[in-house]
Formats: sequence, C-alpha cells, structure tokens
Amino acid sequence: MSAMTSAKETADAAPRVRRRRGAHPLARFLFRRILTAVLLAWGITLVTFVLTNLVPGDPVTANLGQRALGDPAIVAQWRAEHGLDKPLWEQYALHLGGLVQGDFGVSQQSHRPVAEDLAQFVPATLELAGAAIAVSLVLGVAFGVVAALRRDRLPDHVLRVLSLIGISVPTFWLALVAFYVFFYRLQITPGSGRVDPAIGEAPAVTGLQTVDALIAGRWDVFVSAVGHLITPALVLALYTIGLLTRFTRSAVLEVLGQDYVRAARAKGLPGRVILFRYVLRSALVPVITVAGLAFGSLLSGTVLVEAIFAWPGIGQYAYKSATTLDLPAVMGVGLVVGVVYLVINLIVDVLYGVIDPRVRLQ
Amino acid sequence: MATRSQTAAVLLAGALALAACGSGGSGKSNGGGSTAQGGGRTLVIDTSFDLKTADPGRTYEPTGLIIGKAAYETLLTFEGSDVTKPVPALAESYELSEDGKVLTLKLKKGATFADGSPVTADDVVFSLTRVRDMKGTPSFLLDGVEVAKTDDSTITLTSKQANPALPYILPNPALGILNSKLAKSHGATADSQDKAEQYLNSSSAGSGPYQIESFNVSSQVVLKKNDKYYGTKPFYDKVVIRNVEAATQKLNVQRGDSQVALNLSGDQVTGMPASLSVKKTASANVIFLFANQDSGISKTTPNAKFVEAVRKGVDYAGLLELAGEGATQTPGVIPSQLLGALGADQATKRDVAGAKAALAASGLSNPTVKLEYPSELTVNGLSFQPLAERIQANLKEVGITVDLQPAPVTTALDNYRNGKEEMGLWYWGPDYPDPSDYLAFLPGKTVGLRAGWKDGADKAASAAGDKAAAAVGEDARKQAYADLQKQLNASSPFVPLIQPSQNIVTATSVTGLEYHPVWTVDVADLAGK
Repeated sequence: MSAMTSAKETADAAPRVRRRRGAHPLARFLFRRILTAVLLAWGITLVTFVLTNLVPGDPVTANLGQRALGDPAIVAQWRAEHGLDKPLWEQYALHLGGLVQGDFGVSQQSHRPVAEDLAQFVPATLELAGAAIAVSLVLGVAFGVVAALRRDRLPDHVLRVLSLIGISVPTFWLALVAFYVFFYRLQITPGSGRVDPAIGEAPAVTGLQTVDALIAGRWDVFVSAVGHLITPALVLALYTIGLLTRFTRSAVLEVLGQDYVRAARAKGLPGRVILFRYVLRSALVPVITVAGLAFGSLLSGTVLVEAIFAWPGIGQYAYKSATTLDLPAVMGVGLVVGVVYLVINLIVDVLYGVIDPRVRLQ
Repeated sequence: MATRSQTAAVLLAGALALAACGSGGSGKSNGGGSTAQGGGRTLVIDTSFDLKTADPGRTYEPTGLIIGKAAYETLLTFEGSDVTKPVPALAESYELSEDGKVLTLKLKKGATFADGSPVTADDVVFSLTRVRDMKGTPSFLLDGVEVAKTDDSTITLTSKQANPALPYILPNPALGILNSKLAKSHGATADSQDKAEQYLNSSSAGSGPYQIESFNVSSQVVLKKNDKYYGTKPFYDKVVIRNVEAATQKLNVQRGDSQVALNLSGDQVTGMPASLSVKKTASANVIFLFANQDSGISKTTPNAKFVEAVRKGVDYAGLLELAGEGATQTPGVIPSQLLGALGADQATKRDVAGAKAALAASGLSNPTVKLEYPSELTVNGLSFQPLAERIQANLKEVGITVDLQPAPVTTALDNYRNGKEEMGLWYWGPDYPDPSDYLAFLPGKTVGLRAGWKDGADKAASAAGDKAAAAVGEDARKQAYADLQKQLNASSPFVPLIQPSQNIVTATSVTGLEYHPVWTVDVADLAGK
C-alpha cells in the first residue's frame, strides 16, 4: 500500500512540477524513486553487515579443518587474507568502498570474487523466478477472472479450493512431493539440475540456459533446459497463482457490480471489450500491488525449491553462505535481493500510472 | 452472457494449452535423459557438496578430495580400500630410514602430465613445498618436513623427529603433484603469495586420469578423461559430480538419473530395488563423547569416577541400532581400518551396575551436566540429535541428568575448539590413515585441550603417547598404539562410541566401487557393464 500512496503523492505534485520546470512527471518521479532506492540499498548493506557480524560463531571454524584450526599461523593467515583481523568499522568501510567500485569482496567458500559468483548464480535464479512469475501472472489472473465470471458455480468452487491449496501448502513439502510424483513415480519430468548431465550446458552468454541454448543453436539443450525448468517453476509459482487468483477474483467481482460496467453492457458492447477494457483494467490495480509483494516472497521460496531440485541458483548459494558464515557472500546476496525488491516496487509504481490514468492526471 | 462465457472459455483453454505445452516439453526432454549418449560414456555422481576449491594445495574437504584424486597423482597411494599399506604411484619405491626421519622416494619413469610433459623431481619439490608454505588448510600434513631432490629421480623428505606416518600421509590428494611450469605461469608460488587457485579451479595441472572440465563450487563439477594419461585409461569419458541434497539423491539414483549416490543415511538405503547395489562400510569417522577435565569449566566432569560411570553407562549396542546396518562400535579412538586399531573384543560394554557403583564412588549425588553437540551436523548421513537423546536416556538410568545443548555447528564448534564444553559429542575423521593422527587426543594436544586435558594432566597417557610416536616398524607401532588406546580407555576423558556407516548406492551397471576413508571414492576405479 505504501507504494500506492507514494505514487499518488508524486502524482499530486506532478502538475506543479511540470509547470515549474517542464520536466516530465514520470522522469521526476523516477528520479526521486531511484534516489530513495540508493539510500535504501545503503541501508541494506549496513543492516546485512551488522547482522552477519552479530551472529554467534567464528567464520574461521566454518572454513578451516580441525587440524588447521589448531595452528595459530594458519588461522592468522586466513583472517588476514579475508580482512577479518581489522576492526569492524574498518571492515565495513572497506566493504562499502569496494561496493561503490562494484567489488563485493571475495567469498570465503568459493575463494572467488562474490561479484563473479553472483554473476554465475543470479541468472539461474532469474530464469527460474522469471518462468514462475510468467506462469503465475497468466494462470493467476486467468483463474481469478474465470472464478469471478462463474461465481458460485463449479469452476469457481474448484478454483477457490485450488488457490487455497496453493496458498497454504508449504513450498518445501510441495517441491519434494512434486519431484517424487512427477519425476520418480510418473516419470514424466527430468531430474534435478538445469540440463541433462549427458547433454551438457550451452556456452554461457546470458547465463539463462534456455536463451544460451538458442544462441548456440543447441536444440537438444533447449528442450532439456525447458523440461528441467517446468516442475520447479510450477512449484514456485503455485503460491503466487493461489494468491493472484483470490485477489483477481475479488477485484473483478467488485468492478463487475459497478455502474459503468452495467452501462457498457446495456449499450451492447461485446463481452470481450467489456472484460478487457472495462473490467480488467480497473481490477488490475490492486492485483498489481499484491503481485509485486508476492514476487518478493517468491525469491525466498527459491532457497527451498533450489535445494530440492539441485538448481544452481542464488538460493543455494545463499544457504551455503549462511551456514558457512561466508560474510561477503551473505552480504552480496542480501544486497542483490534487496535491490530486486526495490526494482519490483518501482515497476509496480510505474505500472499504476500506466494502468490507471487517474494516478497521473489528478 | 454468451460472450462472457466465451471469454472465460478462451482464457481457460489458454491456460490448459500452456500446461499441456509444459508437459509436452518435459516428456521430450525425459526421452533424452539417459546417460551414455552422444559424446561417450558419462557417469553421474550425486553428493552433498563439501567443496571449496580444486587447488590440491588448498583442498581439504571430502568432495574436493574426490576431484583431487581424479585429476592429480600423488607419490604414494593406497590399493582399493586398504589403508594399512601405502603402495607406489608417481614414486616407484620408497624407503624409510631406521630412525624414521628420512623418507627416500624413487620417481617412476614415463609418468607425464596431461599436456604431455614429464613429471620431474622439480615438480615434486615445488608441489610439496607449496602445500607446506602456502599455509592453507592441508599445510599441516607436511609441517616441519624438508623436501629435497637428490638427483633427477630421487626425492628425500626429512623430518626433525621420527615420522613413520609420512608414507601414509603422502597419498592424500592434497599432496597431488602439479605441473610446476604450467602452474607457475598462472601465478603459483611456494608461499602465501600464491595466486594459482583461480586457474586450478578452472582447469587442472596434474597427471591424473581425469582433467577438470568445469568447476562450480556449489552446483557441479565435470571431469573429462585425460586423453594423454600414461596409465590404465579410465572407463568413463565424463564424470559429472553434482551437488544434490540427500532426499533428492535417493530419487535420482532410483530413477536412473544418476548412477552413484554418496550421502544416503541408513534409513534411506533400506528397501532399495534390486537394480541398485548398496555398499555399507563402517566409515573412518569416530563419534565420541568427552567430559571436560578443566575444573574451571565444571566441578563434576573432571572427576575420574564420573567419567567411568559415563563410560560404563552408555548403551553402545543401542547407539549402533540408531546408526543402522554397517556401523560399528569403536573400541578405542582409532577407527577399525587403521593400523593399531583395537579388536572388537576389547570394546567397552554397558555395565549399569558398574556405572552406578562408579557414580557412588565419585562422591557426586545426582549430578547434572550439560552436553553440547552440533545440532544440524550429520556424519555419513547420521544426525547427532538422536545419538545425544539416547545418551541422555542411558545416563539417566545411571543417575546422571544430562541437559542437552544443541547448537548450529559453527557456534558449537567455537565452544568446542576453545575447550568450553562441559561435555561434548563430536567426531574425528582421520586427516591421514595413520594412527599417529590420533595422538591429538593426548593431554595438551589439539583434541585433548578441547576436553580441558592439559599437558601433564595424565603422565601415564603422555608416556604411552610418546612411546607410540617414537615406535618404528609395523609390529612395534601396532603394539604401541594398542597400548595407548587401552590407557586412554582407562584414564582419558574420551569415550569412543561408534563409526557410522558410509552408504554408497550405485546402479548395478557400475562396478569397481570401493569406499575409501580418505577420498571416499576413486572415480577412475569405476567401470560399467
């Protein structure tokens, strides 16, 4: 909701701004939002740094063998190598200084720059989450509309039960069951990972396996990649589908009862026009708010889904970093996820203006 | 109304089409899901990754050792799963001087690296000095060992004290021999300034049967056959080692998506279909209990009679039941595979009456102690939680109240390492398969100190340790280490419990699998039908 109010506030200010400076209100709005986003991103770095340093446990114990731990020279060398011998404020200053230059530090587990790790793992998650978002938008909205149009009839009842299941079933359990049923029992989906190990991956260009396969013209890799994508993406999408179905249903029902819809129907407009131009357009505003928030939670779902499907994405990386107290990696993941949240919120705010002219023209 | 229902029908049809499209795609890719197609024979191994690097000089994690063993060769190695006798690898013979201080190795002729260049004495000197001086995790393996080349085919390793364990240390994949010219050109140095790790993570510089094709520390490692390997060529052209969580490993191997699953627990391997073979071998990891001897930490646990009560009060057979088939009780701290291990007949047996008597003699009445252990850690698929609960129940019968204090491993390890746990439940895996690794349990040594057992706290144990460390010759060492363990069982704060079973599930088409206590599995040994 905060996104909505801020969008409205900006919209209130917009006409005056236009008169004064001639800047496009959208540009002005974007500028302000990006400025806030930078401040928020800085806040995220501070919070992740403080939190990762507050957790009990010493990264040394997580990274060195039991024997090596007994040798002070090795422990000291390791601390120096990872900058842990410096006071906390200096560690943070160094971390922040590095971030400004795009340097996330060096991961203690992979011994590589965190930026390189992220560049490798983020695309895998983007591919998975992107597929899940696409599926949940299409199915969630479609189901919601169908349920609303068929209110209190069989399709409505079925879809409402389904959406309730989608919302209430834990992703972790669902992932296990889906893998067991579709992969092991029914044998219709491929196993874990992103592509079949015997086929091998396409050379990395974008990091998105499906896109890279097409670039390389490897049809076999593409088919394998799409096949591997389906189950985890559906599992991940189910919660959002359930949520969107419910919200779309209630939003559409509300709009269907409005006078202008009745008027449109009375003057004999075709049902398609009424649905898309009159009903959906108004109904989508609250749906977009929910979708924005839901996609944020989708990212946390990837941690669990990636573990079950051995999907080499940022979720697995985050989990491993957290359990081995790999502080630079944890902070890198925290920042990336935070920025994704900010970007999604920004997109949601901009979409308001696009869908609902009142937000702009008030 | 008609139009509205049409729209709904279109939307629904669209949704169904999307779903249908999805299952169609997956069906097709499943068809291509068999291994051994196109580019030769592929073996897929699923394991829960414990991996940081593929640079042998920095490797110390189980998954890293599997890769190191495949891509690099060491001076000596072990045959199959027998770790009691080091055999030649890059060295064709070795000889330990009578005082145990000088190990002389003759290099094999004709050994070549993957780029075709010969393996020289200089490569050996560089590789071993690099491990020692880079101060990485495995550097302790060669602590205080001087490496020198006497001539083009002879290497001497000189230690200040008798070091009869050295031939057992050399097979560790961390001591794999690098192509020094190639490694140096990518930043390798024999000190902490070394910059070769990134290169060694992307492609290997060894003489082993496999080379690293791709390396991803948290998802998968692909090994390809070294076409120029001078020895017996391995069976599989490509080995894919994937990071897969245990529950998924089980389904993958059952469905044939992978051929080997390394991390299944005893429960998970029961009732496997006949198309799979299950190898259950006692691992070399010893799970043990200790009672802190530092009176600053506890008023209860330093009491010798209290330790005796614990030792007699634990139900070892019950713990074995929990651990499942293949697990075994450890009579002393040294696991059964190693030289000097005590026989099963010398294992401590439960004696509740004896335990109660010991507790009465301790002068403590209804003692309560805290038992700390890593809550989420599993050793060979066995979790510490049920073990701790069982021990709590066992000791309750004796009259000791155990307050369980689980903590995440990184937190728990901190307390353990600093000797702050009143009682602890931990495990020790051999750094190298030689009993001298277990001298760490002596007073004033690494593990001893963690139990608050300071230097000089137990003269008899220290003397037995010194004798074992100095013993040279197989029989003398065997006897000395057996004596040492009997002494530890009588007076130390350690109660050795069990060695959990390492369960390896393979497709029956895979042959030649042996569980190895150091590198788990040698992929070059695996073949197919």
